Amino acid sequence: MGSLTKKKTLAIMALSAMIGLLLLPIVVSVPALASGGGAPAGGPPPDVVKKEGGEGDKDKKIEKARDVYYKTEGIVSGLPAPKTGDNSKDYPRYNFESRVLLWFANQQHLYYGSFVLAVPIFCMVIEFMGVMTKDKAMGKKYDQLAYDFIKISLTAYSLTAILGGILIFTFLTLYPAFFGYLSSIFRPVMHIYALMFVAESGTLYIYYYGWDKMKEGFLKWIHLSMSVILNVIGTVLMFLANSWIGFMMSPAGVDEQGRFLGNIWHVIHTALWNPLNVHRILGNMAFGGGVVAAYAAYRFLSSKTDEERAHYDWMGYIAMSLGVAFLIPLPLPATWLMREVYAYRQQMGITLMGGLLAWLFIIQATMIGILFLSTNYYLWQALGRMRGAERFQRWIKYFVFLLVCGFLVFITPHTMVMTPAELKAMGGQQHPVLGNYGVMSAKNGGINVIITTTVLTFIWYQRGNRVPSVSWSKFGNIFMGVFFFFAYVNIIWLAIYGYFIPANVRVGLSVPQVATTLSCLFFMTALNLSMLKGAKQIGPIEWGKISVRSQYALIMLATAFTWMMGLMGYIRSSVRLFWHVNEIMRDNSPWAYTHTVGFAANMISFNVLFFWISIMFVFWLGTLAAKKAPVEAKAPVPGQAPQPAVGH
Amino acid sequence: MKVLIGSVLGGLVVVLIALLAFGVLPATSLKLVEGYMPMQMLVELAGSVAIFATVSYMLSQGGIQLPRFWQGILFWAYILLYLKFRVYPPIPFSVRAMYGTVSLIAVFMWVSSNEEDWKKFKQPIMNVLDANTGFHKGLRTVYLVLLPILLWGFSYSSFLPNLDEPVELRTVHPAPPASTKVHGKTFVLQTSQNPYRVNPEGKYDQEYSNARIVEQAMGRLMKPDANPWDEKAEGYLKYVREGGEIFFQNCHFCHGDNLNGRGLHAFAFNPIPANFTDPGTIAQLQETFIFWRVSKGGIGLPNEGFPWASVMPPWEQHLTTDEIWKVILFEYWHTGYYPRTWD
Repeated sequence: MGSLTKKKTLAIMALSAMIGLLLLPIVVSVPALASGGGAPAGGPPPDVVKKEGGEGDKDKKIEKARDVYYKTEGIVSGLPAPKTGDNSKDYPRYNFESRVLLWFANQQHLYYGSFVLAVPIFCMVIEFMGVMTKDKAMGKKYDQLAYDFIKISLTAYSLTAILGGILIFTFLTLYPAFFGYLSSIFRPVMHIYALMFVAESGTLYIYYYGWDKMKEGFLKWIHLSMSVILNVIGTVLMFLANSWIGFMMSPAGVDEQGRFLGNIWHVIHTALWNPLNVHRILGNMAFGGGVVAAYAAYRFLSSKTDEERAHYDWMGYIAMSLGVAFLIPLPLPATWLMREVYAYRQQMGITLMGGLLAWLFIIQATMIGILFLSTNYYLWQALGRMRGAERFQRWIKYFVFLLVCGFLVFITPHTMVMTPAELKAMGGQQHPVLGNYGVMSAKNGGINVIITTTVLTFIWYQRGNRVPSVSWSKFGNIFMGVFFFFAYVNIIWLAIYGYFIPANVRVGLSVPQVATTLSCLFFMTALNLSMLKGAKQIGPIEWGKISVRSQYALIMLATAFTWMMGLMGYIRSSVRLFWHVNEIMRDNSPWAYTHTVGFAANMISFNVLFFWISIMFVFWLGTLAAKKAPVEAKAPVPGQAPQPAVGH
Repeated sequence: MKVLIGSVLGGLVVVLIALLAFGVLPATSLKLVEGYMPMQMLVELAGSVAIFATVSYMLSQGGIQLPRFWQGILFWAYILLYLKFRVYPPIPFSVRAMYGTVSLIAVFMWVSSNEEDWKKFKQPIMNVLDANTGFHKGLRTVYLVLLPILLWGFSYSSFLPNLDEPVELRTVHPAPPASTKVHGKTFVLQTSQNPYRVNPEGKYDQEYSNARIVEQAMGRLMKPDANPWDEKAEGYLKYVREGGEIFFQNCHFCHGDNLNGRGLHAFAFNPIPANFTDPGTIAQLQETFIFWRVSKGGIGLPNEGFPWASVMPPWEQHLTTDEIWKVILFEYWHTGYYPRTWD
């Protein structure tokens, strides 16, 4: 047996052992889950159990109750949700608003958690691209990039765990009654969560530290498959954590008093669990892309050599592309989530989008617009690094116009802020021109125009330094032009038509609008790529020769992602109003009111600022490691970006 | 020739703006056509961009290059003036501020979209900062004097007592309760239906009623063979007529005979009553939401219905449940809107 085969066998055995260890907690807990979590979750404390046991089994009555959501009958297996009071026993406190402390701890943990869950997904994709590409130099570049990504996430990973600890301590010390109830319901889930975290850490460390040892041949495939495992664990971790917030918003598996009914699956699989899962996966990836792009921008701006600038320019571009690739489909699960919210409780939906929290949604629309505007701006700047792309410059102003028209419609509030004098001058609450922009039909049109224009910008970017040379290029260009023209016509026409039809049909109109946008994205990008096969190059791509404004656009993009995430988290959480667990456990703390929009915005900004200051520290740590690492051979690739300056 | 055309076009735009700004030409002289207003505004903005681009092109062809800095500033100023003086009724300041900021960002994106343009745009600013010509030195001195005065002016005006009523953040559609009790009967808002929205068989049928409402476009014409005031009208149309009678006996004093919120007493209130013909009111809501609002009135607005500025009486004290359902039926029929449904 050759040494390589031995290595292979050992690697397979190690991987199998790891998978086995990973699955062990689940296998162990399956019988417990099937029987409702072994000893009943949320069950009475041991002294109570003892007392009941002492009275003899004959006297023991089996009490049944109805599930608040599934409407099935189950055996009562837990205590009711505690009825708390505004006292230091239920809500121990410092001389400060406990909710704000919890908000801060929670948000920081979520930022880092999202980041460390998203980055391994990118690594997996990029490492795979590196393995698959036929160009060895490019393959190496991709591999280096994936390594750079995971390196950033490693320090962030420790911070995530630390922040998780801070979060739990904050819960235990400031909201003991609520956290006691939640952990009594989710006891087995929380244990599995902790074990999964151990598995995630182990896999991540092997994946990172084994990078060099497993860089060739079959071992590389093992390494790559470890990234798949890493992501599976990460995703399951997130799903489990989502089940807690899903339960708080739309409880299931308990009766009206909040008593656990023995079926842990019902408690996990609440009305909003799955939409939250899908929405968060895509959201995390868009966010992760943004943060890595900001890292690249930071490194670009602090670069001393052209080689470094070239590498970080390229890294920023890839991270931005991945982030935006996940941003574009993000509205779909978001719509699904809102639909499920409305289906679960109409009041909750209206509070979110038409009532108390509606203004926050306008702020959200503004942030979404900023994301797309920043992306487009970055791509226009990126045209500057391609020789031959100058021919597109004079059309940019029309793209700006389309984007801004979509943006203005998208951010027009339905409920306008005005003085009573302005209200009187306007002649009523509804403005005859702008009022029409404030409803969903127009807004769907607005955002689809923005996304379609972004696709168009991207297609132009792809063509920057190339001219199609296929025989049917003229036909292809005409086809593409006509396709985009009618896409705009269709989107705008449907937005207008939406005013003349019933609401249930109008909601459905978003489907053809989104389909139009996605058709532009998939078909036109594919068509463009096939037209560019063997295209004539009219100039090189000069990586690193891009304006600094482009890098600020990337930082803007990342900041907007972070701010929006903080905002939407706040909206999702505050829609419960004065409930810890909606309609089951009331929040009787002195902070069970909805903050003003101004306070919430300040708090979100503080969280964003803190996150960016702390992640700058993480970035700085990354540069320290890079300085110590040996620098690999840096043979420049003709016509391509130079090799990265850092090694591993 | 091209310079002449460019100059004339540009001059016309400047004159038009000046006439509008100084009130010589009221904004209403160029009509915003009801029903087409939102698209008209966007089309006018698109036209403006086209005119600006044409003027710039014509002049540059004739050898006159408008500095990029002034192009950007002028276009932004034009948008601000357009929003302030062209669109009527006046847009609230908060929305104009949003639009103005977005327009400024747009101008920035345009002038800095490539390195060459950005340099051109920055040049006058850089000149003011460090050029050694007499003119720029003078300009720097002027700024040195003007900027502190400007700041003083801002500070002074911010210290002046402001007697304006404060800005209000309104919640137009507060979340309804899960159920509401009217005349001793509980109605679950998510599942209740208007008992008079029925087909000839007497079954709830929204498609049947949808086919018989007036047309939404201007004129709000009745569908053929769907005249509620026809004496032979039965079923749904008869209930619409009865609802109409109730409306004109009770509601039209405030909500107006066109249901546009401009009734006889409307302007005694601020805000004036809800305009049902606007696509942002009843067209966005379930019938049961309207039922709850009509029954409970302004006094029954929930906590989140800030600033609770509604004088609508709780109509359950004056009308029967059936009358409330019928009047809602009439409102949807007359405006040509469809109530929101869930399926």
